[in-house]
Amino acid sequence: MFRIFKNKCFWLFFAIFIFSLIMINFTSSAREDITIVEKLIRDLYTPLQSGVSEFRDNCAALPVLFSDKKLLSTQIGELKKEIEQLSLENQALREYEAEAKRLKELVEFKDATLESYDLLAASVIARSPNNWNKTLVINRGSKNGVEKDMAVISPDGLVGRVGSVSKNSAHISLISDRELAVGAVLQESRETGGIVEGIGNSGLLRMINIPYYSSIKKGDRVVTSGLSLTYPSGIDIGFVEEILKEPNGLLLSATVKPAVDFNKLEEVLVITGYRPQLENDKAEE
Amino acid sequence: MRYLVLLFLPFTAIFLQSTLFSFYTINGALPDIVLVTVACYAILNGARKGAAYGFLCGLLEDLYLGRFIGINALAKGLTAYIIGSLQGNVFRENILVGVLGVVIATLINSGFLFVLNLLNMELFHFDTIIFHALLYQNIYNVLIAVPVYVWFYHSSRHGILGLTGER
Repeated sequence: MFRIFKNKCFWLFFAIFIFSLIMINFTSSAREDITIVEKLIRDLYTPLQSGVSEFRDNCAALPVLFSDKKLLSTQIGELKKEIEQLSLENQALREYEAEAKRLKELVEFKDATLESYDLLAASVIARSPNNWNKTLVINRGSKNGVEKDMAVISPDGLVGRVGSVSKNSAHISLISDRELAVGAVLQESRETGGIVEGIGNSGLLRMINIPYYSSIKKGDRVVTSGLSLTYPSGIDIGFVEEILKEPNGLLLSATVKPAVDFNKLEEVLVITGYRPQLENDKAEE
Repeated sequence: MRYLVLLFLPFTAIFLQSTLFSFYTINGALPDIVLVTVACYAILNGARKGAAYGFLCGLLEDLYLGRFIGINALAKGLTAYIIGSLQGNVFRENILVGVLGVVIATLINSGFLFVLNLLNMELFHFDTIIFHALLYQNIYNVLIAVPVYVWFYHSSRHGILGLTGER
């Protein structure tokens, strides 16, 4: 029975097994930076992935050449109408914006809207190669000023945060990934304390830590609370789809449908110049 | 040349999985071409060589992903060892052996990944979606396994890979 312990191969297997377990433990996503070997491998892939992404974009433009002219002119007409409507809406919003700015100045409120951050546009060139992690790869890296933990958004809402960076690319952990948690509030009622986390493969999110007396209802818009060092406040996360009672009866949880369709993401914006309010206050002191 | 080809295979597999196949999923599930390659190699070359190749392929995948380095290396190494152990008892000329090997490898690999994730305190909401993903991944893997196994078999017998299986 103990003959196996005299086998050199067994000990080699055992040593590799233990070494691997130690390595897994030391290379969780919480570590500060990835190693040079990982950066080299990623930078090797980046030009190839960018090439495929560009090729795909070019191919996507091809069907337009063969489209029906009548259909295209109808679509153009519809889009023109939409632009007119949006322009009118924009005018009204600009008025509100100016008014809000004046009022903020009156009460000396510190500005923390999206306009006050530096945004870096990036293209999605690849996605996670397995079913266990939800990540995206973008064509901007440390040479473009991207750093770990920077928030990533799209015009529709919050996408996730920068997980790791190499010279020419960055891996983005999506909010639907199990590892991410975001402080959230309900946009209308401004109820705080909720945390939105990824469920995994379903692509849905879960909002936890909601007090039982909350007025949360189906269809409520969930936005970032800004009570973290990573995500600015007021970014759309998603919409409440289902409300559930936790077994302890004191808290509720809700299923949230993300505002962003992660499968159709082609371009994202990295927030590069965000300084959390807490840090601003400290700096001023 | 043989080693260059063997290195090129997982490199290309990761590239295809992260680009081309990520846009064409079956019900949201991606194939695991690296695993298909490893399983085919293990069936034709035996447990020890399969385990070593599986470990190195998994390590490359881990280094690309950049977190929990060793998790795929261990899972694929152990899976390849088990699949490779069947080498002496199966009729390798039959393509069904390759296909069944890949199906079993997908199940074993997912089991190992699940256990290793749990060991690493990566506790997640255990729901049936994981099983759905596994089912669709298996279908995808089988579709890919057919040409990959045929190529592996012929390259091992008459081509660039040259058969060096354990007898």
